[in-house]
Amino acid sequence: MIQKVRVITKIGPDLKGEGILQDVQNTLGLKNITKVQAIKVYRLEGINVNQAKILAQRLLSESINQNYTINSPIASGQAKVVEIAYKGGVMNPEIASIKKATEDLGIKVLAVDTSYEYAFYGKLDKEELIKIVNKLNLYNKTVEQIIERDPQTLLITGVVGETKMVPVRSMNDNKLLEISKDKLFLDLDEMRAIKDYFIKINRDPTDLELETLAQTWSEHSGHKTFKADLIVDGKKKESFFNQVKKEAYKHGKNIVSAFSDNSGVMDFYGGYGVCGKVETHNSPSAIEPYGGAMTGSGGVFRDIAATGMGAKNIASVDIFCLAPLDLPESELPIGCLPPEYLLKKVVAGVRDYGNRIGIPTNNGSVHFHEDFRAKPSVIVGAYGIIPKKYAKKGVPKLEDLIICVGGRTGRDGIHGATFSSAVMSDQTININASAVQIGNAIEEKRMFDALLEARDAGLIRAVQDCGGGGFSSAIGEIGEELGLFVDIKNVPLKYQGLAPWEIWVSESQERMIVVIDPKKLKPLEDICKKYSVELTVLGKFDGSKKLKVYFGKELIGDIDMDFLYHGLPKKVFNIKHKKSKDRIEMKSLKTPKSEKEWVSIFKRILAHGNVASKEPIVRLYDHSVGGTNDMQSFSGKNLDGPNDSPIIRPFLNKKFGLVISHGLNPILGKIDPYWASLWAGVEALSNFVAVGGDFRNATLIENFIFPFPDDQTLRDLDRSVDAVVDFMKAFKIPVISGKDSLSSTYKSKDDKVIKIPPTVCISVMGKIDDTTKSISSDFKKIGSTIVLVGKLDETLGGSTYFDVNGILGRDLPKVDLKALPKTFDLINRGIAKGAILSCHDVSEGGVLSAIFEMCVGGNCGVKISLGIDQKPEKILFNETAGSFIVEVENEKTAKQLFKNIPYKLLGKTQSKDMLEINGNEGKLFEADMEGLKEVWKEPMRRLFS
Amino acid sequence: MKDKPRVIVLKADGTNRDEEMAYAFKIAGAEAKIVHVNDLRLGVDKLSNYKILALPGGFAYGDDIVSGKILAIELTSFLQEQMKKFIERKNTAIIGICNGFQVLVRTGLLPFRKIGEMDATLTNNDSGHFECRWIRVKANEKNASPFLKGLSSKILMYPIAHGEGKFFADSRALRQIEEKNLVAFRYVDEGGNPTQKYPDNPSGTLNAIVGITDPTGRILGMMPHPECFTRREQHPNWRRDKVKVDGLPIFENIVEFIKKT
Repeated sequence: MIQKVRVITKIGPDLKGEGILQDVQNTLGLKNITKVQAIKVYRLEGINVNQAKILAQRLLSESINQNYTINSPIASGQAKVVEIAYKGGVMNPEIASIKKATEDLGIKVLAVDTSYEYAFYGKLDKEELIKIVNKLNLYNKTVEQIIERDPQTLLITGVVGETKMVPVRSMNDNKLLEISKDKLFLDLDEMRAIKDYFIKINRDPTDLELETLAQTWSEHSGHKTFKADLIVDGKKKESFFNQVKKEAYKHGKNIVSAFSDNSGVMDFYGGYGVCGKVETHNSPSAIEPYGGAMTGSGGVFRDIAATGMGAKNIASVDIFCLAPLDLPESELPIGCLPPEYLLKKVVAGVRDYGNRIGIPTNNGSVHFHEDFRAKPSVIVGAYGIIPKKYAKKGVPKLEDLIICVGGRTGRDGIHGATFSSAVMSDQTININASAVQIGNAIEEKRMFDALLEARDAGLIRAVQDCGGGGFSSAIGEIGEELGLFVDIKNVPLKYQGLAPWEIWVSESQERMIVVIDPKKLKPLEDICKKYSVELTVLGKFDGSKKLKVYFGKELIGDIDMDFLYHGLPKKVFNIKHKKSKDRIEMKSLKTPKSEKEWVSIFKRILAHGNVASKEPIVRLYDHSVGGTNDMQSFSGKNLDGPNDSPIIRPFLNKKFGLVISHGLNPILGKIDPYWASLWAGVEALSNFVAVGGDFRNATLIENFIFPFPDDQTLRDLDRSVDAVVDFMKAFKIPVISGKDSLSSTYKSKDDKVIKIPPTVCISVMGKIDDTTKSISSDFKKIGSTIVLVGKLDETLGGSTYFDVNGILGRDLPKVDLKALPKTFDLINRGIAKGAILSCHDVSEGGVLSAIFEMCVGGNCGVKISLGIDQKPEKILFNETAGSFIVEVENEKTAKQLFKNIPYKLLGKTQSKDMLEINGNEGKLFEADMEGLKEVWKEPMRRLFS
Repeated sequence: MKDKPRVIVLKADGTNRDEEMAYAFKIAGAEAKIVHVNDLRLGVDKLSNYKILALPGGFAYGDDIVSGKILAIELTSFLQEQMKKFIERKNTAIIGICNGFQVLVRTGLLPFRKIGEMDATLTNNDSGHFECRWIRVKANEKNASPFLKGLSSKILMYPIAHGEGKFFADSRALRQIEEKNLVAFRYVDEGGNPTQKYPDNPSGTLNAIVGITDPTGRILGMMPHPECFTRREQHPNWRRDKVKVDGLPIFENIVEFIKKT
């Protein structure tokens, strides 16, 4: 029987309950509810009441501030109670811990589950209660459920599913498409290729074989668009992928490995390499943002851990693109979640996974545009350090073992890879629920600990993570050359009842594949045991050049590696560019007339989501773990001035560091993807330069986050890839890793289509040989000179200034690739000499926002003289990437440092807490810093404090 | 090498500030080894090989149920005998930082040096969420623990990073803790006065308590992370202020104490 232990807070705040009460009273305006209690529920199967009592007292509750009951309600009789638990099969990470502790206490439980009861006090009936629960999104229907009656048992049982044959050889085109739709997500050409292959080998495929092909050939895994042949305006052009790769290798000085592993590796110092991986996790995050953000983080961490023979994660980055937080409910497409909810949940997901796994989250950004209302972009990045001798995977040898380590396999995450490659519809949330799951950071952490120890003991030949496509992709990839067989009957399962194909493609998190010499099995087992990591031998490399999958004795998959990896019909895209720019409006704005108008517009810019302080989010992330960050996200007198990039010292006793930065601008992408992509690259590189980096010591990671590839999207992609190539040429630095996500299109039932803005995110990994020579952005002195360095393109299209006025504009700021290397060099030299006291690059919000942020850090004001009266907004709100605000001792220093490049003396810092802005003929406006800080801090504080 | 005290930095599934802790002890003159608790369970290593037990930060066993609970149960049940013997030796020291502090109060070792009997707890921050920031603390000059030697004269700065850092005990226990001068550190404001004000006191902890010792002064638990402030550049404002490395002296004090006894 099941013993049910309930625990409540006796003394001190019940934060969960009080939080809900606040939402009920403030958000829903229901004053009839006077109190909400959160009650933790533990169900323990296979023990008696006395044993439950021991556990309640010693393990499950603490008498100092809590009360418990066994098998009886704990809320008073008047309360209306609703219980919310994970759905069966969704992993509840607490269970394993509770089982372990009960055993330590000498009590063996058969099964455990936990949940929460919420007790509502006041006048309401059950129906109203359910309404409240739904309105507040108290639970996510994808992974959680309301418990209506007590379960009889917690043991999930099931019979092994069958392997079915699929008669593709006899199917016509319609039938082929029918079995592909909503399941395989392959097009007709691809389905025909599969049919032809099985006709050739004279049998029908199993469901597992079809799934394997669908996973391997998905856009997510196969990058079909990026590898397609191109004909652009009638002329042949290399595939997007090859264009980038070819240019990258022309600048290969710092490349250790690029485009060939789970992350790109750059040469670092002292015999080490650093590696980086950035990818999107949009589809899962759109329907279950908390779990989506968690598994997104977990996925990139595994990419780092599965680089070469295994790298150590040292930093993580999170970037979100969402609809504006004040999006009216009526604008929200059916089946989509509101942006405020999304933001809170993705932040919570990143927080809970990153903090628990102990990898510092020390960079990120949030970008708002209404076209993200149907599908948000959640971009996650991770960085690692690896001895160069382990930076490349070893080649598997005959008889090498294929081993699975880490978490157990369940039904979760099935069809993640194929699903993420598909257009999202208002049915998505119902059909693809199984593509989402909750991560378990502790499982991943101990697996990483074990793998790093195994690597250093020389046990590992190669390591591969189970990401999109699960075992089917991970195992297939490493065996492409030799061929192999595996038996998946041995795979440890979370619960019985999975069909073999489900085991094979499940995307259950926290699992990796390790290849070892059979002689090294025992020492690997010992290490895994020490770290409480499960290990299973699945199979061997056998030289067959086939992927053979057994379930026990039964052979249920037998595909030629050659067909699997080279049988995918190559796509050809015909891209025709249009000349006109007629899709863009041509509007302009009048210069603000009064001081009041100036201050008001500047406050609106500071309060814009793209500019507002993200400090309340940063404080939720553990960015200090490791003690490795020599440039905190915020510094200055009150520790609230934002910096440009973190600088990570991977070794506490060595001075060299890794600078991590990124740039992207979806709003500019709406206007012109080419210039928007360049802007992104220059912004990322400027962040590196602004802290003291030499741009030659940078490598790049590219991410293309685009709608589903239709004609327009392909045109935009073509221009964006041109931009990335031109960017590499201009600075002579390579892209070493990249990923495309071409699925951010939403289609409603009535065929209404919403596409995200074409977005290119460029990330920079920069190395710096002495972190003590780097600088921060906070103004250091009073009376020092403020200089604008670099050339502004005096246009405001796509600027925050335009956005807060509701217009997009047509002419966006174009970066000057020819002039920039020199600007970067002079900034770099000024910092190295110690002549530059502080530096901040100009980006969203423009020149004045950058100055404002430096004042926040310096706890001071400024007196600025623009020297012009015509259209001063073209300077103040200008967002040209690659320009900098620099603080130097005096004007003479500025002249010496920057005489050969465009620069402009702007004014001086002052102790008076005011921004004073003058044109040529006197004051334009002044504003007190306290008031400005308030509007700049309020938007995120409201959500996260 | 011979007179370097041996430190066991005890790690469990989910522990994550073990490397910084080991590094801090190393530069303070000790010999530190990171040991997984499973190695103690399996008999591969034992506490009696060490003089200093360091429990680092992180999320041992995911902080499931409440923070530090599962590891505390493990130390007071499966590993109870080893723990008892370790604290019975007069020449040993224990430090628990953040999650390690949470573990120590749940073993009962803090505040009153009992095993398996809790007199205080560390519970959710009043803000209801995890908080990562640099804060000011002052050491309690009345606490005679050798680990705090020379620390009480000035305001110290450390990073904190936790969601369950509110020290809580009933009024009787709290009175005893104060009377016996077991408080080691309190959050203070810019003027150096104990504060309950957010964010100077980010958790709302009672009496601004953010670190305590046991009555012998040889067990110290604290929420802030001195192990993450052992070099100047870890401080957010090393570029603008004169920065003194506040974290290292605690480790040096512990090492010196062990060397002397």
